[in-house]
Amino acid sequence: MEGYLVAIGIVVLINVLLALGLTLQYGRTGLINFGHVGFFAIGAYTSALLALQGVPLVISFVAAGAFAAVSAWPVGMVSLRLRDDYFAIVTLGFSETVRIVISSEKWLTNGMQGIPGLPRLYEGIGGGLPAQLAVLVTLALVVIASATMIQRITNSPFGRVIEAIRDNEEAVTALGKNPASFKLRVLAVGAGLAGVAGAFYAHYITFIVPDQFGPIVTFYVWMAIIIGGVGRISGTLVGTAILMLFLEGSRFIRDLIPAIPEVEMASIRLGVIGIALILFVTYRPQGLMGDYTQR
Amino acid sequence: MFYLQLALNGFIQGLVIGLGALAITLVFGIARFANAGTGDLLTAGAYGALATHKATGSLVLAGIGGIAVAAVASLLAYILVFKRLMGRSVMALLLASIGVGFAIRAFHGLLYGHSQYVFQIPLSRPYVFFGLRISALDLALMLTTALAVAMLFAILHFTAIGRQMRAVADNRELARVSGITVGRVMTALWLLVGAVSAVAGIILGMKTVVTPEMGWDMLLPLFAAAIFGGIGSPAGAVLAGILLGIAQELSTPFVGFTYKIALAFAVMLFVLLIRPQGLFGTIERVR
Repeated sequence: MEGYLVAIGIVVLINVLLALGLTLQYGRTGLINFGHVGFFAIGAYTSALLALQGVPLVISFVAAGAFAAVSAWPVGMVSLRLRDDYFAIVTLGFSETVRIVISSEKWLTNGMQGIPGLPRLYEGIGGGLPAQLAVLVTLALVVIASATMIQRITNSPFGRVIEAIRDNEEAVTALGKNPASFKLRVLAVGAGLAGVAGAFYAHYITFIVPDQFGPIVTFYVWMAIIIGGVGRISGTLVGTAILMLFLEGSRFIRDLIPAIPEVEMASIRLGVIGIALILFVTYRPQGLMGDYTQR
Repeated sequence: MFYLQLALNGFIQGLVIGLGALAITLVFGIARFANAGTGDLLTAGAYGALATHKATGSLVLAGIGGIAVAAVASLLAYILVFKRLMGRSVMALLLASIGVGFAIRAFHGLLYGHSQYVFQIPLSRPYVFFGLRISALDLALMLTTALAVAMLFAILHFTAIGRQMRAVADNRELARVSGITVGRVMTALWLLVGAVSAVAGIILGMKTVVTPEMGWDMLLPLFAAAIFGGIGSPAGAVLAGILLGIAQELSTPFVGFTYKIALAFAVMLFVLLIRPQGLFGTIERVR
């Protein structure tokens, strides 16, 4: 039971880390990033491939975040000057292209077979519950550090500019700032967080395949921040917790009613996510913890 | 000759992309948002046609059935979701359209399961023109598409509702004060969008297999063609779709089958960088 709770805790915190990146990008800056999972995948594969070459995990985790952030650079360069909806489509296309590349380049990523047998964090402790707990604590520290960083960024002069970009981009341009350069940095930081989340994911699951990085992951994260409340750290936590409750809960329902095959459960999950997205966007766009004074 | 044959196959793929891009560009031009649920309307058309074909055995009735199913799905999506979100932020409409797509895909997954279906069409010996092989089915599909596109352009340009649609696309407020009922125009728009998507989905289903994900997997080429053709330009969407389809097929001997979709992404980026208004786009200023 403790093992199960720790496992859930780890998965929740990995998703919180993903959601924090999106909170900075969409909640604070207004970037509609529909390709978050692409950066998550880049982080996971970067760390996995480095670790298999014998690179210490500390370095591979940092490299995962750095490489994901760097890969956001070209994406942002070509798309950040475009309108919001074009940016959304381009990022969605980017994440699909990442998935195609990791499925096709067998020499590097072993293609659809995926990469098994990745080392876990804290294998030195001897595995089992203590190692899992150590992973959980590390993740919690990373999440706290990231949340603090996002708050610090938002409360800085830089943060005032990005919030101004979200609320009125023309006004920011009129004040002589270049919104694209601010957005680019925000995109890179959010991508970096997603990359680190990917590294934690890869070394927790220990087996990665391209199918784990489909667009649905991006929209899970979107659903979490919309339910919780856009732009709020507390909303990120609450939304992710609710999302996990739903995803895990649907597994329990299947245990209770074994007549429902897994493929049907996947369809039901997809439908519930879709309808929840529609309902929240329509009736409660600020989410459960959202700012009650803004639209 | 090998490349000509590929180009011909690409042309038929391109019809699918062009029709789907047409559905996207109509919504973008008139209802003003990028509809990420378009792919799943294609799927709705394919399953609708498949079910009708099984029940009646007639391909013509199957086409009508598929069009009806997708048109109803599209109109329902408008009435239940998009109508309530008109005038809201880009994010709200985009995310809602993703939600609509998920809901449609889940519906298909639950109703038909995840196994692949094919249209049971009797095989016929292909015609050979100057060494190019073309099947009777392909010819029929091309003619049907040409007819569908001609009908759509006729509706847009020669009927009252079409003129009103173009007026709303041009300037919604001006259209409203000139006495155009925007609600009626929107109803017509979504029915048309459903019908066009259905034709694309049915062709795709007949040429490949029908699965709940078939439409979603096409979304990137559809958007690429809509942007390439110039957002809001129906003729541009069809032309760009055909060009993209041919380019995708011709690229497969060099980059492999899996990179077809990535090529669409590259085309989209290239167009956005070099000529963001696309081939014929004038209405939308992109940057």
